Amino acid sequence: MKTRLSLLLAGTLSLGVMPAYAHHSFAAEFDGTKPVRLVGKITRVEWTNPHSYFYVDVTDAKGVTTNWGCEGAGPGALSRRGWKKGDLKIGDTIVVDGYRAKDGSHLIDARRVTFPDGRTVYGGSPGDGGPGDNGTDKGNLPGTGNPATQ
Amino acid sequence: MPLLQHICQLLYDSHVGTAIRESDNAFPIIESVHVLGITLLVGTIALLDLRMLGLVLRPIPITRIARTVFPLTWSGFVVMFTSGFLLFWAEAAKNYSNPAFRVKLILLALVGINPLIFHTTIYRRVHEWEALTISPWRARAAAIASLTLWSGIIIAGRAIAYF
Amino acid sequence: MSPLPWFTALAHSGLGHLMQNSKWGFAIVETVHLLALAILGGAVLIVDLRLLGIILRRESIRVISRDLSRLLLGSLVVMILSGIALLSEEALKCYYSPAFRWKMVLLAAAGLFYFTLHRRALVNTDTGEPTRWSRAAAIVSLSLWLGVGVAGRAIGLL
Repeated sequence: MKTRLSLLLAGTLSLGVMPAYAHHSFAAEFDGTKPVRLVGKITRVEWTNPHSYFYVDVTDAKGVTTNWGCEGAGPGALSRRGWKKGDLKIGDTIVVDGYRAKDGSHLIDARRVTFPDGRTVYGGSPGDGGPGDNGTDKGNLPGTGNPATQ
Repeated sequence: MPLLQHICQLLYDSHVGTAIRESDNAFPIIESVHVLGITLLVGTIALLDLRMLGLVLRPIPITRIARTVFPLTWSGFVVMFTSGFLLFWAEAAKNYSNPAFRVKLILLALVGINPLIFHTTIYRRVHEWEALTISPWRARAAAIASLTLWSGIIIAGRAIAYF
Repeated sequence: MSPLPWFTALAHSGLGHLMQNSKWGFAIVETVHLLALAILGGAVLIVDLRLLGIILRRESIRVISRDLSRLLLGSLVVMILSGIALLSEEALKCYYSPAFRWKMVLLAAAGLFYFTLHRRALVNTDTGEPTRWSRAAAIVSLSLWLGVGVAGRAIGLL
């Protein structure tokens, strides 16, 4: 019964992550005043245009696991930053720094992604006007003012 | 799971569907063909509609324009149907529950009925009115319906990506 | 002088802020851009296929191009206005985007060609048989407009 309930809960929560697949700016979907850091295991990767999505299971202090959607730039911009298709594998533990969706769903805009090997990559879409964006592929990591790649 | 949804899921999980979805270039290239193909399909249909409304090419009889755009429109249809089906193949499971996709299918069905009615009624006597600057009201109604429906299809098609 | 300040100013304009913060703004303007594309593409196609001598051979090119150039220019104005609104949403990205630069160069070339050599080919051919020059003008015109469209698609993909 308990498993069924948690399955139901997980189902409802995953429904809560509804990414807007098409082109949009940072401000249209995300709140720059709500930074968040997620540490979790990759459950799914969508390497798609105009934005990529990856999903992580994050377990909080109470032991409750929530699946979060993370939005990044499209394959073209990510590849030019050294993040290739297949770099993220299901089950990898990663750290994602980003900003929460305006609608409060479990979706964030991933501005900085830290891979299992410690490598960090800027995740923002070029020209989305979000934190760190300067219109080029090489945005700045949020809060640091440093170029993002490597 | 309803049968249709099941079929959509099978398409989505198939080799071809997955290959298109996960390829670096296939999806954006097919999508670009689908977008630019609008000109060939809708652009040529719109010209015939605008002629029936008496807005362009008034000196040229309707049947001349119809015969001219016919092969262009049908090539456009083949391009749009093929590219559209490949896009659907890659995204079928997502499209199934997408409201914009459902609206687009309904509009496509309606836009197919429109010429059926048109060709079995007022167009049968086209030789009586083909040279008129402005076509009879039934033809103008068909033209307005066509322009409205095709605009709706473009709007719904673009909206698929936003749901 | 770099045009960067213009792009920055557009991004920070009222229009830019409206487009960047609205959930549906970009989608709606983009759809208007597409609707106008259908008309513009249809008009270009018919005029250039006539210039190639493939369709409507018995009709005067002057008549065809007079009507269709009004459609073409009207939809071009709609595309440029909606295009400026789309640009304001991601002005800096476009500034650095090679695809956007290609699109602007090809658009300028298509416009220039349309008002000069293409126009001359239309007037010269009129009801006559297509010449080598009129055919070349039609092919250049079709290629330039197609190039604008392909480069435009590439802005969002590269």
